[in-house]
Amino acid sequence: MPADSAHLGLADAELVRRARQGDASAFKDLVGRHAARLLAMAAALLGDAADAEDVVQETFAGAFRGLRGFEGRSSVKTWLTSILMRQTAMHRRGSGRRAARLLRAEAASETTTGAASATGAADARMDVAAAIQLLSPEHRDVVALREFEGLSYDEMTQVLGIPRGTVESRLFRARRQLQEHLKAYLP
Amino acid sequence: MSECEYARRLSAYHDGEVSDADRASLEAHVRQCPACAAELRRLAALSHMVSRLGLPKMPAQSVERVRRATDAMLMADLGRMAKRFLAAAAAVLLVCSVWLWRSEAAPRPAERMPLWETAVATQQATLATGSEEQLAQWIALDLERKNGHD
Repeated sequence: MPADSAHLGLADAELVRRARQGDASAFKDLVGRHAARLLAMAAALLGDAADAEDVVQETFAGAFRGLRGFEGRSSVKTWLTSILMRQTAMHRRGSGRRAARLLRAEAASETTTGAASATGAADARMDVAAAIQLLSPEHRDVVALREFEGLSYDEMTQVLGIPRGTVESRLFRARRQLQEHLKAYLP
Repeated sequence: MSECEYARRLSAYHDGEVSDADRASLEAHVRQCPACAAELRRLAALSHMVSRLGLPKMPAQSVERVRRATDAMLMADLGRMAKRFLAAAAAVLLVCSVWLWRSEAAPRPAERMPLWETAVATQQATLATGSEEQLAQWIALDLERKNGHD
C-alpha cells in the first residue's frame, strides 16, 4: 500500500499530530514507516514471528488509543518502541513462563556449550541468536534495544520505565552471560 | 572475565555512557589492568557480533498483515464514532419531538373578539327575550355600527 503522497517528507511528529486530528491516512503512513522495524524487534524479543505480529498489532492499537497522550517529549520512534516493550511484557506474562522456558531449553539444546560450532558465519549467527534467546526477558530487552536499535541509556530508561542505573546493571549482566555462551568466538 | 572493581563500569564505558570524569579514570585504570583491558576487547567483539546479527528479516506478508489489521481497526473506530453520532442525533430528535408534542397539547389562550362583535353577540343572546320594538332598535343600531366600521 503506497504512502499517501501528501505525507511524503513529513516528520513522524507531524504525522502523529495529523492523526490526532482525525487523519486516518496519516496514522496508516506511520504504521507503514515503523511496522517492519517493530516486527523485527518483536521477533528478536519473543523468538516467534506469529507472536511478533500479534504484539505489533497491539502496539499500533495502543498507539492509536494513546495518540492524545503523546506529548512529543520523546521521538515517535522511542514512543512506539516503549509501547512495543509494554505489549511484549504483557504478552510474555499472558503466554506464561512455561513457553519461555521451553524456548530457552530448545535453544540450549541446539547450542554447543562453549565450544565453537562448525566454522561458518551462518553457524556463528545461529549461536549468537540462540545465546540471546537464552537470556532472561529483561536482559534480552536491554541487549536488543542497545545493540539492534542503538538507543542511548536515557532513551532506554524512557522506553523501559526503569532507572538509568538499572539499565546499566542489566546490560552489564546480560553481556556477561552472552560472553559465557559465546566465549569460543571471543578473544 | 575481569573481577576487578572497575569491571562493572566497563560496559557503560564501552557504550560511551559515562561522565567525562569517570571516562578519564577508567581509561587510566584500563591502561594498568590487563584483565579489564581484555574485558573491554571482549565487549567490543561481542557488540560487533550481536549488531552484525541484526534484527531478523520479517517477510513482507507479516508487514502486510499488520497493515491490514490496522486498517480494520481504523474502520471499526470510524463505525463506533458514526454510531455515537447517530445516537446523539436520535436523542436530540426525541427531545424536540417531546417538546413539540407538549406544545401542541397545551390549551390556547382565548382569542380576543373585537369589541363590536362582543356587543353584537351579547345583544343577540338577549334577543330571545326582548320586544319586537327593541329588536328593531338593536338591528338599526348594529347596522349603523357596521356602516361606521366600513
